[in-house]
Amino acid sequence: MIHVQDLQFSYTSHPFIADINFTVPAGEIFGFLGPSGAGKTTIQKILTGLLTGFKGNVEVGGIDLRKSNRDLYERIGVDFEFPSLYEKLTGKENLKFFASLYKHHVAIDPLLESVGLINDADKKVSAYSKGMKSRLDFIKALVHDPDILFLDEPTSGLDPSNARVMKNIILQLKANGKTILLTTHNMYDATELCDRVAFIVDGKLVALDTPHNLIISHGASTVRYSYISEGEEKTITTALDKTGTDALLLQLVKENRLSTIHSSEPTLNDIFSFLTGRELQ
Amino acid sequence: MKPIVRSFGMFVRQIANDGMLWGVGLAPLLLGVMIRFGVPYVETVLSGYLPGNILVPYYQLFDLVLFLMTPYMFCFASAMVMLAERDENIAQYLAITPLGKKGYVFSRLYVPVLLSVPASIMVMLYFSLTVWPTRHLLEGAILMGLLSTVVALLVVSISRNRVEGVAVGKLSGLLILGLVVPYFIESGFQYLVCFMPSFWIARYFLDGNILFLLSALVTSLVWIALLFRKFSTKLF
Repeated sequence: MIHVQDLQFSYTSHPFIADINFTVPAGEIFGFLGPSGAGKTTIQKILTGLLTGFKGNVEVGGIDLRKSNRDLYERIGVDFEFPSLYEKLTGKENLKFFASLYKHHVAIDPLLESVGLINDADKKVSAYSKGMKSRLDFIKALVHDPDILFLDEPTSGLDPSNARVMKNIILQLKANGKTILLTTHNMYDATELCDRVAFIVDGKLVALDTPHNLIISHGASTVRYSYISEGEEKTITTALDKTGTDALLLQLVKENRLSTIHSSEPTLNDIFSFLTGRELQ
Repeated sequence: MKPIVRSFGMFVRQIANDGMLWGVGLAPLLLGVMIRFGVPYVETVLSGYLPGNILVPYYQLFDLVLFLMTPYMFCFASAMVMLAERDENIAQYLAITPLGKKGYVFSRLYVPVLLSVPASIMVMLYFSLTVWPTRHLLEGAILMGLLSTVVALLVVSISRNRVEGVAVGKLSGLLILGLVVPYFIESGFQYLVCFMPSFWIARYFLDGNILFLLSALVTSLVWIALLFRKFSTKLF
């Protein structure tokens, strides 16, 4: 559905995006993870046709972006990081206007209902909170029922319950066969939502795999246990694959003297730091 | 075509909801009334104190300013709407809808300029002080439309927001000074402002030389070509 080969782009004489290669099949949620300024949004702008002048081959929905045509925009939906809404119009008027630009569009009210905005549909957007604007902006990208969605930090600025609602909608869209490219620096969203993630640092793709594989292949799961010795609690951490040879642990289990025992897996953020030496958040 | 029509409808709606832009739209009519009735009245009053015609030799210059006012104000309103849409990230969003970048620019800039052609001719027919042949009306409307396009591109290209846009819009009035120069400076010094399309427009209507018409077209198109890339980068 999305095919990128040898992508290069630069705003100045110095290369900013270099040697990016990836393919996103239909029905997949593909995540771009990286710190601010890494080039995630630039790649999204290239994929949506906003930035031209790139080198390499980029195809979205079978359309070569160097020969971009309007059909592309009937098929993609984009939720930018920052809301793009007419503040003087109501939420419903905004959706109706943007829907009117497409050949086909879906009913507006169910969309408003899905993100809990149906009762605020006739309020001017200027009276909306930041979270309400984010939710309205999100469903704006869905008014024409696109095949491919580009979502830039879709849960940014949302309270946990509304973030949950948004994530459920994203998962439902995937279940309906939509292809989703998610740009985020939120490792929890990426781990939960993405089938595969790509780590982007300084305009380069440094890793690409499923979150599970990245964690398993690069991280070491550990076991931390504690016990009482001479009146003091002592804590030991050992690798999960070394527990069978940890004599102390085996002895404590045998003597039933363990106070606590926990397993711990590295997070995507740990893996990102391990691979790049940088932090996601 | 449908996205462009919808987008232009939204453009009109924004102007209708904005008090300042209403005023901008009415400005050509107000100026028309002032020029058509005010200037001859002032001329009559001055003639009572001074010998000969005082303002009559400049009636064509008043007409040129009036001619420019309609496309200039249309383009200024267009620039203000585009700046507001850029501030709200809407211009960028519309570029990734079926409207596209070209459709956006067409609905926000070219359509107002095209509409300004008949509108400015109507204003001239009702309010001009001198008689304008049909051919000159058509040529003038096109030249003034191109000059106003330069102003709109300039305002959007170098303003960071609407407030700055208003200030730059006022400063862009300097580009129009070229209209005045040929009427007051007869020596070769007048060519110091030859980079201004407005200078060549005034020279053309003063002398009727087709080379001046071409110079006005070329200087306008060069300005548009120079500004368009920055304008597009700033918007999207």
